[in-house]
Amino acid sequence: MNLKIKPINKVLKMQESGILLVIILFTIIITSINPVFITEKNLANVFRSTGFTLITTLGMTLVLISGGIDLSVGSVYALGGTISALCLVAGLPIPVAILLGLLAGILVGAVNGWIIVKLNIPPLIVTLGMMYIARGVVYVTTQGVPVYPLPDQFISIEHFDLFGSVPSVLIIAIVLSLLFQIILRNTPFGRAVYAVGGNSEAARISGIDDKKIKLAVYMITSFLAAVAGIMMTSRLGSSQANAGTGYEMTVISAAIIGGTSTYGGVGTILGSALGALFIEMLSNSLTLARISVYWQNVVIGVVLVLAVVIDTYRRKIIQRNEIIQTKVSKAL
Amino acid sequence: MNTTPPILSMQYVTKKFVGTVALDDVSFDLKSGEILAVVGENGAGKSTLMKILSGNFGHNDFDGEILLNGKKCRFDDVKDAEAAGIVMIHQEINLELDLSITENIMLGCLPQTPIGLIDWKKAHARAVTLMKLLNMHDIDVEKNVRDLSVSDQQSVSIARALNRNPKILILDEPTSCLNKSETQTLFDIIRDLRSKGLSCLYISHKIDELFEICDRALVLRDGKKISEYEKKDFDSKIIIEDIIGRKIDNVLPKVSEELGEEVMRVENFTIAHPYAFGKTILENVSFSIRKGEILGLYGLVGSGRSELLGSIFGSVNKLAGEIYLNGQRVEISSPIKAKQLGIGMVTEDRKKDGFIGMMSIKHNVSITVLKEISKYHLIDTRLEDQVTSKFADKMRIKTSNMDSNANTLSGGNQQKLIIAKWLATKLKILLLDEPTRGIDVGTKFEIYSLIKTLASQGLSIIVTSSEVQELIGLCDRFLVLSHGQVRKELLRKEATESNLLFYSLAN
Repeated sequence: MNLKIKPINKVLKMQESGILLVIILFTIIITSINPVFITEKNLANVFRSTGFTLITTLGMTLVLISGGIDLSVGSVYALGGTISALCLVAGLPIPVAILLGLLAGILVGAVNGWIIVKLNIPPLIVTLGMMYIARGVVYVTTQGVPVYPLPDQFISIEHFDLFGSVPSVLIIAIVLSLLFQIILRNTPFGRAVYAVGGNSEAARISGIDDKKIKLAVYMITSFLAAVAGIMMTSRLGSSQANAGTGYEMTVISAAIIGGTSTYGGVGTILGSALGALFIEMLSNSLTLARISVYWQNVVIGVVLVLAVVIDTYRRKIIQRNEIIQTKVSKAL
Repeated sequence: MNTTPPILSMQYVTKKFVGTVALDDVSFDLKSGEILAVVGENGAGKSTLMKILSGNFGHNDFDGEILLNGKKCRFDDVKDAEAAGIVMIHQEINLELDLSITENIMLGCLPQTPIGLIDWKKAHARAVTLMKLLNMHDIDVEKNVRDLSVSDQQSVSIARALNRNPKILILDEPTSCLNKSETQTLFDIIRDLRSKGLSCLYISHKIDELFEICDRALVLRDGKKISEYEKKDFDSKIIIEDIIGRKIDNVLPKVSEELGEEVMRVENFTIAHPYAFGKTILENVSFSIRKGEILGLYGLVGSGRSELLGSIFGSVNKLAGEIYLNGQRVEISSPIKAKQLGIGMVTEDRKKDGFIGMMSIKHNVSITVLKEISKYHLIDTRLEDQVTSKFADKMRIKTSNMDSNANTLSGGNQQKLIIAKWLATKLKILLLDEPTRGIDVGTKFEIYSLIKTLASQGLSIIVTSSEVQELIGLCDRFLVLSHGQVRKELLRKEATESNLLFYSLAN
């Protein structure tokens, strides 16, 4: 009995196995339909957009694991880019402009976290409000007009490709992923994020500062959204007031497809990274297949729900097997 | 031989889960107007048996027969069982907290007016009638259940069951959240229902209660029927031995009589009432505890036991009061601070705030010492393995895999896990709020002896319990809380069940 369950469980237990398998199958199918998919140029496109999504998905993963949600990331993405662009247009040095854009992000995250923690308001509502507020601030400061021209040096940040084809945004995303992988798996902070999301009362009683943890995850997420927004401003050479509309949904979907639980307590960085890659592969391949943009939303929605359904069943199987194992080992 | 068939007869019931046999050829009868105790450790098969009887497992899911009044019955689901007059009241109170008493009682069968709206007049009237049956004459049935005390909520559960006109009532650990006097009230209700011809199956870990209320007892172990005793043959030692399957020498291990110096002193604690705004639950409570001492806090539910522990630990705010540790005044504003000062807490409701179900056993143990097992802000996993397995062994947590989710542990092992995580810290004082609630008899004794061992190693322990016998067996000294004060302090040699009870009720 024991022997029979273990290998199956091991594969199932590796949370990312499902999505990894899907990505491999998907690549094979899509390449056989349209070989353009696997060309260097197209892959660079896929990876570039994956980078933009992934950066914020890392933070969203933390927020979701801690049992919260952040709907304001799309607006913060626009806000970070706009603040940096406005600073640049005003003639501030590039590092200062970037820093101020990032600070704006951190500030928004701090306000989100503070209201959630101190005033005990549900994150869904606080960040929904912030989504409107931050977007509103962008429109007020720019009057909806794109902010440009930006210095070439700033523009070249995103346009720098390592080895001629690896987009810089992907490199940033990968470095951040590694960093967050370590933070989540190997630091007391990371462990506390899981604990707070798994059972915040139990975590508090165990002497974990649940409020500090929650505040931190919102600050981190907004910071990362600002990073992505500033990179996009660099890419476009201007900041757009409507940048990042719907971005929060892409980011949340990527995390969920990657196996992060919306109930909190469960999720991995690798899973989220694969989730972000899959979402971008999906929309890229649909475009390649000349499927209307309107249909893309339908497909992504279906995939999202499917991912959660599969995840729910996977968890049930694991739990059942674990209980059987415990019973068997007790009986022996 | 009695010729009238028993009201219920379960015959040769066998239930298999994948890999295990939960019930093995169990048969028993229940007579009309009888209260039959079903006892056994967790996992003995009690709940499986009751789930079969109450229709949670349909007739295709098990082998064997259910006979009602001599006639074979087949239940597909709970509704079928209820229609046949079998209703179960679950251990965990299963109410909609934000609905009114009436709505909870009548849920699923609210009366309607001719045009299809809810007939509230009729519904309330029915609820009032049912609550009156339970001796609750002036309760406002439009009140939200959330605002009721636990024992009143229990009454609502019973009223809901009675509304289904049951012939057989299954009570699963009905007194697990009740204190002695509330338990007596419940027993009066049960006796009253029995006199009206209702039969009961009564599941409980509390042996003394069974003796009081039940006419017969059925002992299960490892899915098998071990023995059956008539009331005249009840003997706690024999029944406990049947339950745990081995001989017990003395019920509780001996204590060391030598106690150390004072470790903690609590002075003039005043704590706000958790529900009644502007009122206090405790006023000017002072006491001290010595090294290696086990101090018992006894009081009725609502006497402020849990609140007192919580306010020492910093998880409940106090209005006034001071704490001295080794003579030094300390401020404990949060559990973080308490942990730093060497105070740990095992809460009353382990599912709610005791452990993290989706986290591994290992991570649940190390959660209190994350900083201590880290170097350069990174968790040293080898050190973590060492620390966690050391304390898991010390608490004798039964698991084959420290990486399994804590959810997979039995209740008793979950409780040991919670104590283990505190032992991993530099613990001087351990606060235990109802440490054996809902835990099977065998594990209970194991936990008692672990508590005693810890105290003999110099840990000071404050423990609350609703079971007087448990406290008497465990503690060196007792504080009886009543009417917001420490009503009486008793030493081990002075404490008896009756005087603890007396002082807890005394005004």
